Amino acid sequence: MDRHFDEELQKVKKNLLEMASLVEESITKALEALKKKDLKMASEIKEIDHRIDRFEIAIEDQCIELIARHQPVGTDLRFLIGVIKMNNDMERMGDHAVNIAGSVAFLIEQPRIKPVSNIWSMASEVKEMLKDSVKSFMDNDAKKAQQVCARDNVVDEMRDETIRILLTYMLEQPDKIGSAIPLLLVAKNLERIADLTTNICEDVIYIAQARVIKHHAEEEKG
Amino acid sequence: MIVETSHLNLYYGSFHALKDIDLSIKENLITGIIGPSGCGKSTLLRVFNRMNDLIRGVRITGAVLIDREDIHSPVCDLILLRKKVGMVFQRPNAFPLSIFDNIAYGPRIWSITDKKTLRDIVERSLAAVDLFDALKNRLKESALSLSAEKQQRLCIARLLAVEPEILLMDEPCSSLDPIATGKIEELMLVLKRKYTIIIVTHNMQQAARIADEVGFMLLGELIEFNSTKKIFTNPSDRRTFDYISGRFG
Repeated sequence: MDRHFDEELQKVKKNLLEMASLVEESITKALEALKKKDLKMASEIKEIDHRIDRFEIAIEDQCIELIARHQPVGTDLRFLIGVIKMNNDMERMGDHAVNIAGSVAFLIEQPRIKPVSNIWSMASEVKEMLKDSVKSFMDNDAKKAQQVCARDNVVDEMRDETIRILLTYMLEQPDKIGSAIPLLLVAKNLERIADLTTNICEDVIYIAQARVIKHHAEEEKG
Repeated sequence: MIVETSHLNLYYGSFHALKDIDLSIKENLITGIIGPSGCGKSTLLRVFNRMNDLIRGVRITGAVLIDREDIHSPVCDLILLRKKVGMVFQRPNAFPLSIFDNIAYGPRIWSITDKKTLRDIVERSLAAVDLFDALKNRLKESALSLSAEKQQRLCIARLLAVEPEILLMDEPCSSLDPIATGKIEELMLVLKRKYTIIIVTHNMQQAARIADEVGFMLLGELIEFNSTKKIFTNPSDRRTFDYISGRFG
């Protein structure tokens, strides 16, 4: 039997995927603005973020209404709870894109420095993780989600390496501190985005298999 | 607004069953009326096609407008009103006639005798409740041979055959199992595109699932009337919250 409720759940999924594509656009554009030191492009991120914020409110509202009206159980309940959490995580990613775009204003007057290349490889890994996490949600693919989670360590290592290089650079060339600090912040924001994609994947696994993998919960449970 | 009441009061003898009810029901929506037993919700529903007229000692004050016409006005045509405002009851009340004759019953009262026209009406009405394919080769069989859910669908089809505007449903799923209930609910969601549905239900979850707007009644009063979302996420009246959260009723 086709349920009207299923159509409503599909609308929620469609909205979250639209929001995810805005988040991807926002992060890509923020990094592009950083690369080109393009203030105009950086200023466009705020407008995208407003749209992301509006999605967050609308999706949360949809989920609350569906829970109140349909008393979902099983997969339907896990789906709505998972979406509420992912919605929040995606909105946070949008904020990190705004932070990255904010660094452009600080960097614009500064000379380009060498360690910036680490940032681009980190950014490319984070963007891939985000893309794959959204795909795992779209396909309800727990296996893919699990693979994305495993990649978080790679990004953590990249961040540590970037910080190490930047610190050394600042010690050696204190006059370049103005260029290095915004890059430190970008690295931090990228690492947080990677953490949030991991959260999304944990929710995908929860929705698909009712497994809680965060905080090593399964290992503790034995 | 397709249905409006203003200062509607109804008395069964000295018992004050409906108290000063002001209500506006919008076209092509499902409006749910909820409340504990004896709160007056079925009485309110029966006001809309003047079914209460059949009860001795009933007295009604205030106005009830359907399509802006006062249904208690002396010039109101009661037969026309009941054609316009059809009713589905708790238990399917198929007539002990063939499936075809059940559907054709109303149109025949309205002097439609042409066989082809009647056939078309029966086909269209059964198709509207998604029964035609299942029953097209069984039209001469007794309607009473059908399952409870199909009988209830048939009763809805019988209403549609006389082209009503408003469907009143008094606990239409209370004698059905959850699967049959789900099917009738899906049907209501399809029918609302063309008709206005007012449903009285004991089953709060049913109102939450399918209604666009909900009225909560208690001891003859309409305590709150709001969008279903508002009623079930942030009701304005404490009594509504207590009822929907199972604190009483």
